[in-house]
Amino acid sequence: MTTATTPERTLTLREIGPAGRGTRPDEVVIAVSPAFAGHFTKTIVDVPHAEVLRQVLAGIEEQGVTARVIQVFDTADLAAISHGGAKLSGSGIAVGILSRGTTMIHQKDLPRLSNLELFPQSPLLDPAVFRMIGSNAAQYAKGESPQPVPTRNDQMARPRWQAKAALLHLKEFECIQAGRPAVEVEPVFGRVGSRRLG
Amino acid sequence: MTTVDPGRSPARLVVGVDIGNSTTEACLASIGPDGSITYLATDLTRTTGVKGTPDNTAGALTAVRGALERAGRRVGEVHTVLLNEATPVISGLAMETITETIITESTMIGHNPATPGGEGLGVGTTVPVGALPEQAPGQPVVCVVPAGADFDDVAAAVNAAVRRGVDVVAAVLAGDDAVLVTNRLDRPIPVVDEVAAVERVPLGMLAAVEVAAPGRTIRTLSNSYGLATVFELDPAQTRQVSPVARALTGNRSAVVVRTPTGDVTDRRIPVGELVLRGAGKTLRVDVDAGAEAIMDTVARVQPLDDAHGEPGTHVGGMLAQVRDTMADVMDVAGQPDVPVSEIAIRDVLAVDTFVPAEVRGGLAGEVALENAVALAAMVRTSRSRMQLVADLVSEQLGAAAEIGGVEGEMAVGGALTTPGVDRPVAVLDLGGGSTDAALLTREGECTAVHVAGAGELVTKLIDSELALDDRETAESVKRFPLAKVESFFHVRHEDGTVQFSDQPLPPHVFARVVVLTPDGPAPVPTWHGLDHVRRVRREAKRRVFVVNALRALRQVAPGANLRALDFVVLLGGSALDFEIPDLIADALAPHGVVCGTGNVLGTEGPRNAVASGLVRAHAAVLAEGARCPAS
Amino acid sequence: MTSTKPRTSTRTEVLESRPVNLDGFVEEWPEKGLVAMESDFDPAPSVRVEDGRIVELDGKARADFDFMDTFIANHAIDVASAEECTAIPSVDIARMLIDPGVSRGQVLAVTRGLTPAKILDVVKLMNVVEIMQAMQKMRARRTPANQGHSTSARDNPVQVAVDAAEGALRGFAELETTLGVVRYAPLVAIALQVGGQVGRGGVLTQCALEEATELELGMRGITAYAETISIYGTESVFVDGDDTPWSKAFLASAYASRGIKMRFTSGTGSEVQMGNAEGKSMLYLEIRCILMAKGAGVQGLQNGSISCIGVPGAVPGGIRAVAAENLVASMVDLECASGNDQSFSHSSMRRTARLMPQLLPGTDFVCSGYSAVPNADNMFAGSNFDTEDYDDWNTIQRDLQVDGGLRHVREAEVLQVRNKAARALQALFAHLDLPPITDDEVEAATYADSSNDYPLRDVLSDLKGAQSVMERGITGLDLVRGLETTGFHDVAESLLSVLRQRVSGDLLQTSAVLTADFTPLSAINDVNDYAGPGTGYRLAGERWEELKKLRHVTSATNPETEVG
Repeated sequence: MTTATTPERTLTLREIGPAGRGTRPDEVVIAVSPAFAGHFTKTIVDVPHAEVLRQVLAGIEEQGVTARVIQVFDTADLAAISHGGAKLSGSGIAVGILSRGTTMIHQKDLPRLSNLELFPQSPLLDPAVFRMIGSNAAQYAKGESPQPVPTRNDQMARPRWQAKAALLHLKEFECIQAGRPAVEVEPVFGRVGSRRLG
Repeated sequence: MTTVDPGRSPARLVVGVDIGNSTTEACLASIGPDGSITYLATDLTRTTGVKGTPDNTAGALTAVRGALERAGRRVGEVHTVLLNEATPVISGLAMETITETIITESTMIGHNPATPGGEGLGVGTTVPVGALPEQAPGQPVVCVVPAGADFDDVAAAVNAAVRRGVDVVAAVLAGDDAVLVTNRLDRPIPVVDEVAAVERVPLGMLAAVEVAAPGRTIRTLSNSYGLATVFELDPAQTRQVSPVARALTGNRSAVVVRTPTGDVTDRRIPVGELVLRGAGKTLRVDVDAGAEAIMDTVARVQPLDDAHGEPGTHVGGMLAQVRDTMADVMDVAGQPDVPVSEIAIRDVLAVDTFVPAEVRGGLAGEVALENAVALAAMVRTSRSRMQLVADLVSEQLGAAAEIGGVEGEMAVGGALTTPGVDRPVAVLDLGGGSTDAALLTREGECTAVHVAGAGELVTKLIDSELALDDRETAESVKRFPLAKVESFFHVRHEDGTVQFSDQPLPPHVFARVVVLTPDGPAPVPTWHGLDHVRRVRREAKRRVFVVNALRALRQVAPGANLRALDFVVLLGGSALDFEIPDLIADALAPHGVVCGTGNVLGTEGPRNAVASGLVRAHAAVLAEGARCPAS
Repeated sequence: MTSTKPRTSTRTEVLESRPVNLDGFVEEWPEKGLVAMESDFDPAPSVRVEDGRIVELDGKARADFDFMDTFIANHAIDVASAEECTAIPSVDIARMLIDPGVSRGQVLAVTRGLTPAKILDVVKLMNVVEIMQAMQKMRARRTPANQGHSTSARDNPVQVAVDAAEGALRGFAELETTLGVVRYAPLVAIALQVGGQVGRGGVLTQCALEEATELELGMRGITAYAETISIYGTESVFVDGDDTPWSKAFLASAYASRGIKMRFTSGTGSEVQMGNAEGKSMLYLEIRCILMAKGAGVQGLQNGSISCIGVPGAVPGGIRAVAAENLVASMVDLECASGNDQSFSHSSMRRTARLMPQLLPGTDFVCSGYSAVPNADNMFAGSNFDTEDYDDWNTIQRDLQVDGGLRHVREAEVLQVRNKAARALQALFAHLDLPPITDDEVEAATYADSSNDYPLRDVLSDLKGAQSVMERGITGLDLVRGLETTGFHDVAESLLSVLRQRVSGDLLQTSAVLTADFTPLSAINDVNDYAGPGTGYRLAGERWEELKKLRHVTSATNPETEVG
């Protein structure tokens, strides 16, 4: 590449109004948890939330599908966040993301506790996986049959990440604002020590 | 029970047992002194061991006991168990890929990424994206982007270069970023992405990148004269690049790089010879000549005495293994071994197929449908071990056990119990490993043949042509109809009808092509559409069962004339298939043959023909005895 | 970018690269229950009885009980002695626990009347050495034992059978399996049963599955006991799993009705892991589970954090809490299968240290799943110890003269039982008309280490075969019959003897296992009689001679040779 180091991108979620129901059949909703890009700025393995959202958005855009981002405040339950997003999505497809990185693709007609694809091992999710998740969600929205994103497994994730995952889970629950409705947000990306990209 | 009239022999309980390749069937009947038959019950179980070997005893006993249980009779009541003269039939399958596509000097990229970017044709010199800042304005360039580059950065770099006057006309990317990059460009260009080995794209060479609009295919790079125009080729050079054009036909996007000796070739792979012996001749045929040539040769040596394949090839290995397995099967402790040389391959079926294979030298994992030949072979032996089975059955049940009748004859006898069937009748037993035909003439003469290739070969063709690499899935694609899950509440069947359900379908089938198994819809892991999967399935069945039906029937038909057959009755497990009987009936219809799935005894469908045939034959013998007796 | 990173010491680099630093550690957060056992938010002990009914439990009036409180108050605590026992100062009870002069029976007379908070109050007073000392006395069965996992990354039944056989030979009294592809279960459960009996007659086997199938395999006699019936310490976690203490108790009685041994499973950390600890410490919630198990009438419990070990393992004093939860199970007279069964740490030193509180005093099952296959084949996501650790384990037993249930076995014997197990399964599969096991597979199985060393099986046929086992209603007796007719008379006899136990019901007794001569050994006939130095289970005599053997021991008679 042209430069040796890539400055870290930042993300702010600018509220643009209450989260409404989409009408475009070619949209995917990305629903993020209460502490996403706020109280927390990166996943359990330090993937910046800016990169998480950017990659999911890119995966959707590459498939020629549009995306809307909403933030949920009254729950930190991934199934509830994702299913709530799916119900607002014009295509019925949503990607739900927790601050620690745990992600799910959901569809509005499914029971809440079910899902299309679930990525429970947050320590194993890197930017490339988030890109594939976005891409698959968009393909579902188009009525295509994507191959499920391969899920990985690591026996030693337990000793390394189990307790931190529990801690992050508890922290996210602390950020719940009961009764506050979900809002639609505009993701604003910036670069640390660099001018904003146009 | 009625008491026995003294002086007359009582009704006797007999069980016909048919040991087939995969199932063992029993037919329990009571035969009156006059030879009248009362069918009491049937049963079906899996054959234990290889057909015609002592291992069959367990399955035979299970089936006999099952039938007795259904009829509410006791083992002690059985007078005679009738076994068919089952000869071991062992079949094998092999596949040889006989073509190979090779790209040299990274001449071309034609992998058809799902989402290329932009539209149109761009021709320029290949330059790495990192070198754009140093690129002098003027000359058109094709920008080559390595793995790991961020789409925002790439777009910014291209925009910056264009603003400086560098004529960036196209781009080739490693990542799946084409739409992302194109969306961020000030001036749109065609972009081809997902080129995994982008680092092998020759730099500083003239290259052309073409992307067609969604739903269209490229026009210039798939046309030899288009290539000639773009690269200013003379007629000799044009002739040389025509394989490139052909390889790119039907793609939505492509890249062609002009290199000194780059080429795309479609090479035939020599995979050895098949040596066929029969009718006093020995003929050789190259396996890579294809199925038609092989089957022509097979036809010229009928009846086939034996076949060999070249050692070290898949076919050679398969034929040797079939022979070895048969030798092992025939081994019985205390008896001399059967020499492998005595075991002969009695039939071969070759089928043309194709295998999706990665192109050698490709930069983006291009897949070409390579030609392949699938072969099924069959070996049988006259050395049956049925007497051992009969002895064991007799010992376990305390009843007489007889070996009666040749399978083919018995099957015809059973088929005749199908309502509406009369002599002359031919049966086609569609099994797993072999397809068997038998003919009973009006005069009561019977001839029977076994030919190689049946259900298992169909599964193999489906597996490889759809690149499933999963026999279980291929098996269910073969056995059950397809549908597309269009929402959680409805599926569209392969015939176009829509079915709604009250309960949501499971998430793992959402938006997928599925097979409708009895346990519910199961996804077919393929990116192909339903129509393609269906076509592959039906073609595989046609190439095996229809071809074999005609081949086998010609062998038993008088003068090899199918018109001489009046009734053809389909039997065996594959006769229960939802479309094979129709495919065969369609193929036979032009010959004026009545063809349908058997309904043995009017109740058993295509099952139990041999077992009930055994009972019929036995009853006929008894009746004979009753008519010309010392009464 | 020109970074000016401060210079780090070479020693720091060395320490940074140590495996222990790959483990995760977190600070406590008691308000949310992210704390091992010392929390200001746990309730203070109290109990009040009116009209033969507990009306107040640990500061809560009956009207405010959640269903855990109700179940424990109604079924787990001895109402008659509750007020009296709970009134005994905790320090006195703690001292009773470690005082050799106080018998196990005397302690049980007190613990049966204690509330969850009181029990916590008692064990909080004890350090790990005291916990171990108490465990040595309170373990229900006199003779300690061990349990192994035999699973296969490919669900290959041949591998499961031969590793079960080797495991049984090495000393595991119980063997557990589970599946990658659940539909394989019937074949793998049969393999485990057959292999186990080849290795050592009387070994008990189980197959961890969803509850209905697990019960069915048990009722058919394809497995001998069950363990993976999970319970939780808060009502909300229970409800999330669509369960209640009563539904679990009902399941337990289904097993008991057929004379099948079973135990529940619980462990510290599960509630906080699921975000529903209700602000209570991990150990307090686990004590509620233990008493719930007691109240349900099951004979035992698998605990020691189990699959949540990463949570207590990351907080201060967490492994002490895990040792304490094992002790609490034993001190309320339950069989304790004491964990050490999940990948716990990147550090071998830490893995070993985590084992000491169970290995040194001895528990009913030191590991509730030592991986008797390489961890890569362990379908329980890896264990704290696996086949690579066999020699280390045997050496530690010899060094400290403690009985961890295993022993060194010479290769010839190992090969012999592996081969026999493979052949027995081969014959049984042929007899039952299940997909064949080839001679090549038998040969490979005899010498194999991991699933990679076996020829691939035809998965499609296997799954069909597995389905037919269920459809045909094959039972343990069919296995016995098949083994008998195919000439494996001794294996058939062993399996039949195991099945016979469900008629006598002896395996329903606390901590029951079967010895090699099929004597049930339980807290009834092998009661722990520890009463100080020189009493209780002592590693001596024949067993000690057995444990002196290792792979390489230089002979004292002829130092140029090795003994063993």
